Amino acid sequence: MNAPHPPSQPSALRIRQLSVNYDKNPVLWDISLEVPAGKLVGIIGPNGAGKSTLIKAILGLVTPISGKVEFFNKPLKEVRLRVAYVPQRESVDWDFPITVRDLVLMGRYGRIGLFNWPRQADREAAERCLEMVDMLPYANRQISQLSGGQQQRTFIARALLQEADIYFMDEPFAGIDLATEAIIMDILRQLKSKGKTVFIVHHDLNTVEEYFDWVIMLNMHLVACGSVLQAFNPDTLNAAYGKSYALFDEALKLSQQKSSGII
Amino acid sequence: MESLVHLNPYEGKTVFGFLLQFVIRIGYFLFGELSFSDLASDEIQVIVLAGVSASSALVGSFLVLRKMTMLANSLSHTILLGIVSVYLLTGAHDGLSNVFVHVEPINIHAMLLAALATGLVTAFLTEFLTKVARLQEDASTGLIFSSLFALGIILVTLLTRNAHIGTEVVMGNVDALRLDDCKLVLVIFAINAALFTLFFKEFKITTFDPALSQAFGISTVFFNYLLMTQVSCTAIGAFRAVGALMVLAFITGPALTARLLTNDLKGMLFLAIGLGSIASLIGVALSRHFLTVYGLALSTGGVVVCTLTVFFAVAALYRCSVDFSLRDVA
Amino acid sequence: MGASLIDYFTDAVLRGPTIGSMLMCLAASLIGVIIFLRKQSLLGEALSHAAYPGVIIGVICAGLILEDDVNDAATAIFILLGAFCTALLGLVAINWLERGFKIRTDSALCFALSVFFGIGLTLASDVQFSFPALYRQAQSYLYGQASTMMDVHIIIYGALAIVVILTTLLLGKELQTITFNRDFAKSIGMKVSAIDAIIFILTALSVVIGIRSVGVVLMSAMLIAPAAAARQYTNNFHIMLLLAGLFGVISGFFGNYISVELSQYLAIRYPGSRLAMPTGPTIVLVASSICFLSLLFAPGRGLLLRLMRVTYFRHRCIRENILKTLWRFDQDFDRDKNIPFEHILQYQSVSRLYLHCILLSLIREGWLGKSQSNVYRLTSDGRKKASQIVRLHRLWEVYLADYVGIGAERVHHNAEEMEHIITPELERELTRLLKDPQVDPHRQRIPPMNANMDGI
Repeated sequence: MNAPHPPSQPSALRIRQLSVNYDKNPVLWDISLEVPAGKLVGIIGPNGAGKSTLIKAILGLVTPISGKVEFFNKPLKEVRLRVAYVPQRESVDWDFPITVRDLVLMGRYGRIGLFNWPRQADREAAERCLEMVDMLPYANRQISQLSGGQQQRTFIARALLQEADIYFMDEPFAGIDLATEAIIMDILRQLKSKGKTVFIVHHDLNTVEEYFDWVIMLNMHLVACGSVLQAFNPDTLNAAYGKSYALFDEALKLSQQKSSGII
Repeated sequence: MESLVHLNPYEGKTVFGFLLQFVIRIGYFLFGELSFSDLASDEIQVIVLAGVSASSALVGSFLVLRKMTMLANSLSHTILLGIVSVYLLTGAHDGLSNVFVHVEPINIHAMLLAALATGLVTAFLTEFLTKVARLQEDASTGLIFSSLFALGIILVTLLTRNAHIGTEVVMGNVDALRLDDCKLVLVIFAINAALFTLFFKEFKITTFDPALSQAFGISTVFFNYLLMTQVSCTAIGAFRAVGALMVLAFITGPALTARLLTNDLKGMLFLAIGLGSIASLIGVALSRHFLTVYGLALSTGGVVVCTLTVFFAVAALYRCSVDFSLRDVA
Repeated sequence: MGASLIDYFTDAVLRGPTIGSMLMCLAASLIGVIIFLRKQSLLGEALSHAAYPGVIIGVICAGLILEDDVNDAATAIFILLGAFCTALLGLVAINWLERGFKIRTDSALCFALSVFFGIGLTLASDVQFSFPALYRQAQSYLYGQASTMMDVHIIIYGALAIVVILTTLLLGKELQTITFNRDFAKSIGMKVSAIDAIIFILTALSVVIGIRSVGVVLMSAMLIAPAAAARQYTNNFHIMLLLAGLFGVISGFFGNYISVELSQYLAIRYPGSRLAMPTGPTIVLVASSICFLSLLFAPGRGLLLRLMRVTYFRHRCIRENILKTLWRFDQDFDRDKNIPFEHILQYQSVSRLYLHCILLSLIREGWLGKSQSNVYRLTSDGRKKASQIVRLHRLWEVYLADYVGIGAERVHHNAEEMEHIITPELERELTRLLKDPQVDPHRQRIPPMNANMDGI
C-alpha cells in the first residue's frame, strides 16, 4: 500500500520493519513505509493504535526491538538538526517560570550545544518565529498565563525556530480555538510550499481530507500509507477502525501477566 | 585552640551590634588584615550556614520545579547511613563521633564519597522497589528512607555510645563548626555553582520538557542523576551544621519564596541564594542576640529556619496583596 | 536479662511499653491502609514532623501550669493535645500552600514538615535550659521511647487507639468506596468531604498517639510498611486491614522487645554512659523487614515467586517446543519416526546437558519414548499434545493474518510466543470467531481440536 515516488529524490522518511514492544508485547508491528518530501502527512488510527509511539520510536525516544528509520537516506544521528519535534501539550508543566520568548529560544538548544548561550542572531530568529504564529505581543508573558491555543502556537514557534526539514507534531489540533487552528494551517501550508515535510498525529477523521495530502493509517500495524486520495477510503478506514480487538487485547494481557510472573 | 587565643568579638552583642561587628570584620578580612584562622566561631557559623543555604537554594530551585523534593527528604535521611558505612568500611569507627562531636578534623574525602554512594544507592533502591517490586512510588520513597535511617540511628548509637547522638543528627551542632566545615561547604557550593552555570540550558530543558530534550539528544537520565548527586553532596555539607532534617527547609524555603516573587528562572536562583544567605546572617545574629539579652541558648539552625519562614510569610503576603489589587483592576 | 516473653505482658515495668506500643502501632497501621490506597503515604511524614513543635509546646505548658505538680499522666495529656493541634495546623498549612499559591503537593509537604520541625527544634533548644526535667521527656518523642510508659499511659493511648480502630472499622464501607471511586461515592450520596476530613483527623490522631513509641522522625514508616506488606497478600480491603493490623502489632511488640534487650546489653557493656536504645528505630526496622520479606516472598505478588513462575513458564515453553519439533518430523511420512538427539539439538537453542535433562523428564512423564540410546520418538499422548500446540500456533496465525490484518510473513514470531499462552477458553473463542479454519496462512493444515488436554 505504499505509493511510488520519483526515485531521484530520497524519501523524507523511510521506515523498515519497525517493531516496538512494551514488556514483550507488541505495540507496533513491523511497520514499513516511505514518505516523499514536501507532504503534509496525517497519522491517524484508533486510540491506543501506537500513533504517539510511532513518533517516539522514529525520534529515538523509545527503543524499538527491530527496524530501521532513515531521513533522506540517513540515520537520525546524522540529521538531528533537520528534524523538529512538537510534543503533546500535556507533557509539560505550564507553571514553569519562563516567558514565551525563552520557551521559543529553547528550540535552538539542540543546535547551540553544550556550554554555549543563545546569541543575538538566535534571539532575532525567535522574534521572527513569534511573529509567524502571531504571538509577538505575548513575547514577555509567563507561559502560565496562556490559553490552550496560545500554548500550542508557542510550541510551534519553537519548532519553527529549529528551521528543520521534517517536523513531527503530536496532536497539535487538540483543544485549540479556531483562530489558532487557522494560524497553524497557514503555517503548515507555508512549510509545505518550502518543500518541508510535516507529520501530524491527528484524531479528527472529518478534517483529514482538508488538512493533509498524505496519510499514514495505523492500528498497531500499518493499514495504509499513501496520498489521501488513494489511501483514505472506506476500505482502509474499516480495516483500521472496524475490527474488534477484544480477543487480541485479552491474549495480550495474558501474555503480559505470564511474562511478569503474575500468573 | 581558638578560645585561648581570641575572645569571641561577638560576645555580648545584640542583633545590630552583631551585624555592625560583622561588617567591620568582613572589611578587615577583605583588606587582608584578618586571616582565615582568625575567624571567630560566629563568623564560621555565618559562612557555613550561608554556604549551605546557597547550595541548597540552587539545588532546591530545580528540585521544586521537577517535583522531586521528597527525594531530597529521602537523601537527607539516608546520608546518615552513608556516613556510618564509610566510617565502618574504613575501620575508623572512633572517628564517627568526630562527625558529630568534632574533636578532630573531619575527612572531607570520606564525606563526599559517602554522599555519592548514598545518593546512588537510595535512588537505585527506590527505583528497584517501584519498577521491579511494583510498589507505588510514594510508599517506596517513604519505606527506603525510613528503614535506612532507622538502621543508621541504631548503628550510630551502638558505635558512638553517645546518648545525645540522635538529637545531634537532626539538630546539627552549629557551635562546634570549624574551618574545615567552611572549606567543605564552600567547595560544595563552588561545585554546584559551576555545574549549574555550565549546564544551565540543559537543566532548564530537561526540567521543563524532557521529551524535547531527549529528541535533542540531551540525556534526561544523566541530568537526573547529576542533580541527585549534587543534592547528596549538599546534604552532607549541611549535615554537621543543621542536621538531617532542617536542610530540607533550606532547600525548599528560599526556592518557594523566590518563586513567589519572580517569574524568571535565573532571577529565582539568584533571589533564592540571596534570601538563604541573608537569612543565615540574620539567624546567627539573632541567635547571638537571644543569648546576650535573654540568656537563651537557642539552636541557631532552628532560628535560621524561623527566619526563612518569616521571609516566606512576607513574600506570601506581598503576593496575596498584589493578586488582590490585580483582581480589582481586572 | 532473663525476662521471658510472658514477662513483657505481665511485669509492671515492661507491660506499659509493650502493650502501649502494640496498640499504637495497630492504630497507625490501620489508618495507614487508607493512606496507602489513596497514594498519600508521605502525608504521615509531614504530620509527624508538624506534631513535634506541639510536643514541645505541650511540655512548656505542662511545666508552666503544673509547676511542681508535674506528673507523667498530665504531661502526656498536654503533649498529646499540643501535638494534635500543631499536626492539624500543619494540615491546614499544607492545604493553604497548595490552594493559595499553587505550590505542588510534594513541595508543600516538604516545606511544611521542615518548617514545623525547625520551629520545634528551636523551641526544644529553649526547653533544654528552662525545663530540664521535662526536656528529656520531650526529646524521647524524637525517636520514641516507650520504656517509660506506665499503666496510665496504656489507658490514655489505648483509649485513643481504640477510637481510631473503631472509626476505621465502622466507616470501612465508606472508606473503601471513596478510595476506589470517589465520583461514584459522591453520586450515591456519600458525604465525601466530611469523610475526607475524618480521615485526616484520624491520621493526625494515629500519628500523635504513635510518636511516643515510634518517634516523630520515623512515624511515617508505621503508616506505610504494614499497609504495603499487607497489600502483597491480598486485594481484599478488609483482609488488608486485618493483615496490616497484625503486622503493626507484631512490629510494635518485637520492636519494643529488641529495644529493651539492646538497652540492657548496652547498660551492661557500657555502664557509665546511661545509654538506651530508642524504640522507634527498632520498631521501624521490624516493620520494614516484614515489608521487604513480603515484597519478596508473598504468594501471588512476591518477587521471588514471580521469578520462579517466569522461569517455570520459560521452561515449559522449551519443552513444548521440543514436542513440536518432534511432531514436525513425525508428520513427514517418508522420514523415520525415531529422531536422534543431534537433530533435536539443531532446532533448539539450549545446551546439550539441559536438552538431555528435558528429554529425560519428557520420557518420564510419558510424552516421549526412547527406542535406542539417544534416539527418541513421540508417544501417542505426546503426539496429541504436540498437535494441540501446533493447532494453537496456526490458529493464532490465522487470527493475526485474517482478522487483525497483519501480513502472513510476520505472524510467525508472535505465534511462537502465544501458542504457550492461549487458554482453552481462548481457543474455543478463536475457533468460533474464525469459523474453524483448516489451513494457516502458510497453507499448512491446522490439527483438529483435542478435548481434555492440560499443560505439561
